[in-house]
Amino acid sequence: MPSFTSSSKSPALVYARALLGICAIIVLFLEICADYLLKHDSETYARVSQQYADAVKVRSSRPGEPASVLMVGNSLLMEGIDVDRLQGLTSSKMRIYPIFLEATGYYDWLYGLGRLFRQGARPQVVVLGVGVNSFLQNSVRQDYAPMMFFDVRDVLGAASDLKLDRTATSNLLLAHSSVFWDIRSVIRTQILRRTVPHCRELFSLVKPKPVLPPSPELEAVTIARIRTLRQLCEAHGAKLIILVPPTPSSEDAVRQMAIASQKVGVDSLVPIDPATLSERFYQPDELHLNSEGAALFTSALATYLPVELSGSKSASSHN
Amino acid sequence: MLFDSPAYFLFLIPVVLVYWRLNLRAQNIFLLLASYFFYGWWDWRFLALMIGSTTMDFLIAQKITPGQTDSNRKKWFVFSLLLNFGILGVFKYFDFFTGSFSSALETLGIHHIPLPLIRVILPPGISFYTFQEVAYIVDVYKGRLEPAKSFLDYGIFISLFPHLIAGPIQRPGHLLPQVQKSRSFDADRFFDGLMLIFSGLVRKCVVADNCALLANAAFGGQFGPSNFWVVLIGTYAFAWQVYGDFSGYSDIARGSAQLLGFHFMVNFRQPYLSHRLQEFWRRWHISLSTWLRDYLYIPLGGSASGGWKTSRNLLITMVLAGLWHGANWTFVVFGAIHGAVLAVERFFFPAKAKQKDPALSQHSVGLLSLWAQRILTFNVFCLSLAFFRAASLPAAVQFLAGLSNFAWRTEYVSAFFMLCLFSVPLFVVDLLMEASNQEYPFANAPYAFRTALAAFTLIILALFSGNSLNAFVYFQF
Repeated sequence: MPSFTSSSKSPALVYARALLGICAIIVLFLEICADYLLKHDSETYARVSQQYADAVKVRSSRPGEPASVLMVGNSLLMEGIDVDRLQGLTSSKMRIYPIFLEATGYYDWLYGLGRLFRQGARPQVVVLGVGVNSFLQNSVRQDYAPMMFFDVRDVLGAASDLKLDRTATSNLLLAHSSVFWDIRSVIRTQILRRTVPHCRELFSLVKPKPVLPPSPELEAVTIARIRTLRQLCEAHGAKLIILVPPTPSSEDAVRQMAIASQKVGVDSLVPIDPATLSERFYQPDELHLNSEGAALFTSALATYLPVELSGSKSASSHN
Repeated sequence: MLFDSPAYFLFLIPVVLVYWRLNLRAQNIFLLLASYFFYGWWDWRFLALMIGSTTMDFLIAQKITPGQTDSNRKKWFVFSLLLNFGILGVFKYFDFFTGSFSSALETLGIHHIPLPLIRVILPPGISFYTFQEVAYIVDVYKGRLEPAKSFLDYGIFISLFPHLIAGPIQRPGHLLPQVQKSRSFDADRFFDGLMLIFSGLVRKCVVADNCALLANAAFGGQFGPSNFWVVLIGTYAFAWQVYGDFSGYSDIARGSAQLLGFHFMVNFRQPYLSHRLQEFWRRWHISLSTWLRDYLYIPLGGSASGGWKTSRNLLITMVLAGLWHGANWTFVVFGAIHGAVLAVERFFFPAKAKQKDPALSQHSVGLLSLWAQRILTFNVFCLSLAFFRAASLPAAVQFLAGLSNFAWRTEYVSAFFMLCLFSVPLFVVDLLMEASNQEYPFANAPYAFRTALAAFTLIILALFSGNSLNAFVYFQF
């Protein structure tokens, strides 16, 4: 006999039901609000969704036309490249389709590129530039990326690659399906920025430092990842170029990345040797290029990227 | 599955709905299966270990009831203790002790001795369910408890999912009778269960996860080299993190249990309002501290012999309590600090039989003095947390060595502001609960008010929840 014997008119039960109903309404309300905020107030969403939509339409150029270049990366490229200027300097040789999303790394783009290809994108060249640390990190961005870059199978694939447990996998799946769950940390950060003084500086300080594998593993991991990306791009008729943007004190890592690329037969492009850039070319966060550094990097990229595209090996000296 | 993940609620809601449609036997079978599913969600391989250990203790308990011949009883009793602590020792401490022994040999100049390391993952909740099994075996052996006649009942006592992974550690005398008796739906307690879950979620997702950001940065070196302010931010933030985290877990566990008609003991009672460390341990992780008192401290002799033997017993108990938290020398030092301070307190403030209730003992102290003692106790606890949180002993010492350096950075203002933003509300809630002696804030308020409070809580949760990838601190124990 069921032990559910309490009267359904008990005030506690009535309020318990009311509470659960209110919770359901609040969750629905949050989802609708998050969707509205995302589409009307999020600069990141507006930028990336437009860039993504443009990228899906990329097709191989016909002979005589500039090469179609899909350029993907994180804030190192977003801050370090003046895309309009780069396009202007190289307009006769290539047509650039950028997608830059901050705090993305290898896995975001492995699955992001895979989805782009599945949706019909056919660039001639894919340029990936996320920096050495982000290329080696074992994570995906928890907001924006699951919703904008991944299908369900991508989420499951990324979870499997990252050896996420079932709880983390279900969180990622939810971030893919629910706008609120995807951007809740963004909403929180925005509120804190308006509440806590100098919050931006605090958050850039408390951001966890990436943990890189030791040197011997580092090379093996790099090679395996570049090989996987190359296979993905080649399967869809695109050439892969690994672009290594400068970051302070990254000379050794950049060199290892370039060597790993060569071993896999992928061109790596290091337009500026980090050792040649002093502190004055970086922002106060000591990671991203400032406008002066970006001008330098864009010019160098405009010089060497077309050379890479034409298949010339003369740029190898900069690799 | 983590209590603060959507997956848990996708599991809990159907379990509760189905559960109350069943009769007692079907309820128990359903609960056992649900609990095993909950545990297997992490890793099905460890389920076999838990079921095996549960089965062994169930069978051994039948052999150690007071009716058996004394020699056999004792043998089975000792065998059970060896088995339980052996499993815990192998999975949790084997590599630690082997590694420490190897380091000691290296220090003595003896190199290249091949010592085996097993390098296994710690099965979730093993420290918690082992303690419950040991409590059951001891209570049956001492004749304080009849052994469970049904494996189903005993299986649920050990594996009931709300307490399975991180407690509160349930006493057999408290939980087993609840498993064995029929449970009727109590709407008031059901509502209180929902409120406890909301309270727990805010403690974990809003307080703990946001404080974790600061604590991780301070201990991880992101604030730069350690100094007075970094130590202050790091230890205070970690104090609120670990409190919000574990009291939040306990609240969600108690709330989930209440939805199923069970009552779990209160595990935290405003610990940061303690005016001495003795009192702190009567308010902090109560299920562990009372377990240690009843199954370790008192069998060691407790305070009966007086003097240095009491101090020795306190030190042994607290060092083992520290080691229970993790296989690292940092936890041993954490426990030793607590043992030493407790012994000193015991020397200067001997316990009086009539003042065992912490609330009563505080009444004998003036308000100013009371708050001075509370602040002192909180800071002693924070100091010990440096060892609890640091990755190694040298790291903890290096972190605390910064206390003599007062170099200031503007970002510290933001860090203190953020720390206050997330810890002060919990502190105010604790003051309210201390004054009202309730299980959650406004527990006696009208239902309409509490419903509105819970709805407001959900919005706070939605807007301020920290990173969902911060697992509960006590899961690693």
